[in-house]
Amino acid sequence: MTTFGFLSLLLALAVTLWSSYASASSDYHEQLFLQPLPQSSLLASFNFRSNTSQQAFDNQHFRYFPRALGQILQHAHTKELHLRFTTGRWDAESWGPRPWGGSKEGGTGVELWAWIDAPDDDEAFGKWIALTQSLSGLFCASLNFVDSTRTTRPVVSFEPTGDHQDVDGLHLLHGTLPGEVVCTENLTPFLKLLPCKGKAGISTLFDGHKLFDAAWQSMSVDMRPICTSDGDCVVQIEQTIDMVLDVERSKRPRSNPIPRPLSNELLACDTSKPYNSEDTCFPLEKGADAAWSISEVFGRTLTGVCPLTGSDGTQEHSVCLRVPHEKQVFITEGSTEIKKEDGFTRCFDPAPVQPFDLSIPEQTVDIPVPREEPILYAERTIVGHGQERGGMRIIFGNPSNTTAVDFILFESLPWFLRPYIHTLQATITGRDGIPTEIAASDLVTSTFYRPAIDRERGTQLEIALSVPAASTVTLTYDFEKAILRYTEYPPDANRGFNVAPAVIRILNVENSAPVYIRSTSLLLPLPTPDFSMPYNVIILTSTVIALAFGTVFNILVRRVVSVDEAAALGAQSLKGRLLGKLVAIRDRFRSKETKVE
Amino acid sequence: MALKYTWGQRDPDSFQMTAAIRNLRENPRFLFTRLPNILSFLCIVIGVAWLLLLPLDDNSRRTYISENALLPGQVHAYFTGSEQNIFRGYKQELQTLLNEDRETEDQEAEVEVTPAASNKVHSILQAAGLKVATQKYEYTSAGITHQGENIYGIIHAPRGDATEAIVLVAAWKTADDELNLKGVTLALTLARYFKRWSLWSKDIIFLFTPDSKTGTQAWIDAYHDLHPESVQPLPLKSGALQGAVVIEYPFEHHFQKLHIVYDGVNGQLPNLDLFNTAVAIAGGQMGIGANLQEMWEHNDSYEARLQTMMRGMTKQGLGYATGAHSSFMPYHIDAITLQPKGEGWEDEMALGRTIESMCRSLNNLLEHLHQSFFFYLLMHSNRFVSIGTYLPSAMLIAGNFTIMAIALWMRTGYYPESKPDTPAGEKSKSEKSSKTGAQKIEKAVKVNETALPERLMALPLTLVTGLHLLGLVPLWTFNNIFHQYFTTATYIFVVVDIVLPLFLAALLSNGLGVSKPIIPQQYLLIKSFALLLLGLSLSTLATLNFSLSFMIGLLCAPLSFIGRLQGPAALRYGISTLGLVLLNLLSPPIVLLGVCWYTGVSVETVLTQAAFGWDVWGMWTQVVVWCVWWPAWLIGCVQLGSSIF
Repeated sequence: MTTFGFLSLLLALAVTLWSSYASASSDYHEQLFLQPLPQSSLLASFNFRSNTSQQAFDNQHFRYFPRALGQILQHAHTKELHLRFTTGRWDAESWGPRPWGGSKEGGTGVELWAWIDAPDDDEAFGKWIALTQSLSGLFCASLNFVDSTRTTRPVVSFEPTGDHQDVDGLHLLHGTLPGEVVCTENLTPFLKLLPCKGKAGISTLFDGHKLFDAAWQSMSVDMRPICTSDGDCVVQIEQTIDMVLDVERSKRPRSNPIPRPLSNELLACDTSKPYNSEDTCFPLEKGADAAWSISEVFGRTLTGVCPLTGSDGTQEHSVCLRVPHEKQVFITEGSTEIKKEDGFTRCFDPAPVQPFDLSIPEQTVDIPVPREEPILYAERTIVGHGQERGGMRIIFGNPSNTTAVDFILFESLPWFLRPYIHTLQATITGRDGIPTEIAASDLVTSTFYRPAIDRERGTQLEIALSVPAASTVTLTYDFEKAILRYTEYPPDANRGFNVAPAVIRILNVENSAPVYIRSTSLLLPLPTPDFSMPYNVIILTSTVIALAFGTVFNILVRRVVSVDEAAALGAQSLKGRLLGKLVAIRDRFRSKETKVE
Repeated sequence: MALKYTWGQRDPDSFQMTAAIRNLRENPRFLFTRLPNILSFLCIVIGVAWLLLLPLDDNSRRTYISENALLPGQVHAYFTGSEQNIFRGYKQELQTLLNEDRETEDQEAEVEVTPAASNKVHSILQAAGLKVATQKYEYTSAGITHQGENIYGIIHAPRGDATEAIVLVAAWKTADDELNLKGVTLALTLARYFKRWSLWSKDIIFLFTPDSKTGTQAWIDAYHDLHPESVQPLPLKSGALQGAVVIEYPFEHHFQKLHIVYDGVNGQLPNLDLFNTAVAIAGGQMGIGANLQEMWEHNDSYEARLQTMMRGMTKQGLGYATGAHSSFMPYHIDAITLQPKGEGWEDEMALGRTIESMCRSLNNLLEHLHQSFFFYLLMHSNRFVSIGTYLPSAMLIAGNFTIMAIALWMRTGYYPESKPDTPAGEKSKSEKSSKTGAQKIEKAVKVNETALPERLMALPLTLVTGLHLLGLVPLWTFNNIFHQYFTTATYIFVVVDIVLPLFLAALLSNGLGVSKPIIPQQYLLIKSFALLLLGLSLSTLATLNFSLSFMIGLLCAPLSFIGRLQGPAALRYGISTLGLVLLNLLSPPIVLLGVCWYTGVSVETVLTQAAFGWDVWGMWTQVVVWCVWWPAWLIGCVQLGSSIF
């Protein structure tokens, strides 16, 4: 009894000391933001953020900052790191602007960029390779394939978000893997970096089956130093997972995931149609948003609160929901609800240990959440056809009727796609739909172009553009497809080569947070040799050689002798002679025995 | 043993062989005149016989699925139950709108889609959660304007990245110009049904075109940004297209069998795996039989197989689009049309499940369809011959022209008649040489070898090139004049074809009035060059469009054997006139008229279709007809005609 009391006292003391220390030098926050989107989708945005003092970080005193990642960063002299895993595509037309202004999102696949402290370019590249190799192991991703052909050094597209003392000594390197498939093996190491590791708090909602069934999802890791004016620096790590779930699909039970046709009674039919009858039904598409709850959509409830969540007085709630205030929302007893003044946001503080659930019944409200318009729409496709040449077409749409949009288009193209920059052409289409061809130079304010070197580096193209108000600009350029050596084709099924998404950075945004848009990745079919033919030849020659070798070897090694010769042959070896002696001795004994009998 | 023996001491056989070869060398008349004729004739006979042997079991193969990823019919199709209620609902809705519009705007166009129905398709797709866009287009060909508006919706692959897509097409007007109401409705119902599935790895595009001829062409051209001015660009796109299936259901009753149409423009074919998948799913999974090439009763006999193959070859040779799927083929997108046929027990849901299963198979693809054959002749839904087996047939026929051309070339530099002598002298010489003994000929040959006659090539080369270029005139005419003049133009060309060779022959025989009269060597050279070009073009064409090469080769076959006739004037006139009449029966315009008369289609329709194919589909059958066949035919006629003068 006494020992237990003593222990608990010690524990309490430790916790108090530790928390006071934590609030002084490091803190941890997590937040889940839920927003129903049109077409019965639900945006779930998870954010985990913690700060560690620069001094603790340098001395390898890792508390919230994951040690595994911290040591890698220190080894590679990385001062600022951004890592993204993304699948699917953001449907800007229905869903509006991207979460976090697109700054926590990557192109399809894996995207990585980092500021590395190094005296020169070569050394920076060496460290970059060390970084990608280590991260590859840490995140179970093929980041080790980010070699010189996939690495670029963007000039104007990215700017450090942290406060660095010596910006000139930092080198920005950027690499993408558009073909990488993001899956659960990337989620597990991601969760392990969190202080509560998916055991408590909002991270308990991560279920690989639901997360990777999302229509769009993006995982990000950002590390940056933040300094106050008086020179105190902290190292901040921010992890986010954003996903758009299809509510209807997510609600399907795992035991019966097949969307079978509904039974006749369950069909929602338009009964006003004259032909409506038992066997004829014009479907009535739902006007109201579908009902959902956290347990239905994520397949589990939120378990308590991560006990490490900061208590530094800032009012951050762990779960927030953006629906109109009139909407009815049911939450688990014991948790508190706070409605924000804007009329559309409410936040919840779940009870510390209880499971927390939140459900919204099906209902229609008069004032929906105002739909924001994205600043810019962008779409990029490959045009033309054939094995030799092709073209790239990028369409930018400016929905605003008043302001022009200035932005930077950043393309990193693989070396085997050789763009002809002189063919860069622009067509501008107003609201009237009449296209006018204009010189590209009228729209392009500046260009940074680094041509590719075969098998060494890819093309890097950064174009500063401006799209006038209420118009659509189509940018096209031609390219040539290189012919690869046959060993340069990956061993996988040859569906074509992935071209990394274009990154668009929007410039004229008043607030400080940068706004980014990424296009979808592209599939580039290259002239492909008939791989099955060499394969067949190899198989055939191997068989022939195996047969020939077997026979010849047999003939060389094996000796064909008659039975009586075999005995004589065996007698010549040492073992044979010994055996012969033994047999002779045995025979002698036997003959004696027979004599005795 | 035998080998040793042959090497060691010469046996009587080998002596005979050498003797035969020596005899051949000593008999140039046989070597240069008879032998090529025999070889050429044999080539043609063997070529035709080869084709006729293809349908036999030993020469054709059973079809098989080559691409493992397709796994046809391995999934359960769930398109049943209440989906049929929705199908009926959509159909009633569209039917009502079509009827309303017809009542207001007369009943002039029974099968044309109306704007109201078109808008309804748009709104249904939108309500089902697809991204929808429209595209207007307009084509003008032979004075006829074709215009319309495509509507298409895209289901984004739930976790996809817009790199690949499958297309489902439903044209309001089928390839046979019937109203495809149930087909369009089925596509709409499938769109709503597919949207619920999360397993799609590729985007699915639902394309609704006003007709089967122009709509898909406009759409696919614009998809690759290779469209003409009169076609609008596409506002919405997806990734690389991996396959396309066209849905037709132009009647109310239940159907019995599926008819699979697969021919593309210019004889291009989809990958055999796609066809096999359709057959395997229809037959194996759904229990619906599959037909091809309008062979409704196919008993798998030799005759039935040959007939199926011939129908396929005719379509391939003519190179026109056989349905909405044909336009996809030039872009290396494999496509087929599924047409329900006959009266039976299968309803639209069975067709829907077939299409669902096909989409699942295509969805499985990791690579573009490439495993199986692109060059094949189908003779049954599960029997085919591949290019390696059938190609020798057309190659032999094309080869006969080349053999003859080479022989003629050698003859002009070898045979005494090629000496720039008067025809009479040359004739007597040749007669004499054939009669006299071997020694004498040897002497003559030696004389010739020492003084090889120079080939006068300027005139033959100019003439052959000029006549081939002349082919551009009918090519331009038949593709650019208005459709109402096509019949007249054809008859004019019949007359031109009669007059032009005689005129040219007269001109050549009289030395064109400026130079010396043309000599026999030059006639042979003209024929040699013409046949060389023909052989070259046809053997190249055989690898691209086997059937066209085969047909043209057969029609040109007499050209190998005709030339300038010699002999008494009366006989010459008689034979050459008869020959010219017969040759004229094989001229391009007469063949066209004959085929039109036989099939009962008007010449204007055929030529309008051809001009449309040239303008819209990029069909090049005409180029082969006017720039390969017609010049070769013309030169043959000139050769024969020159005997008269």
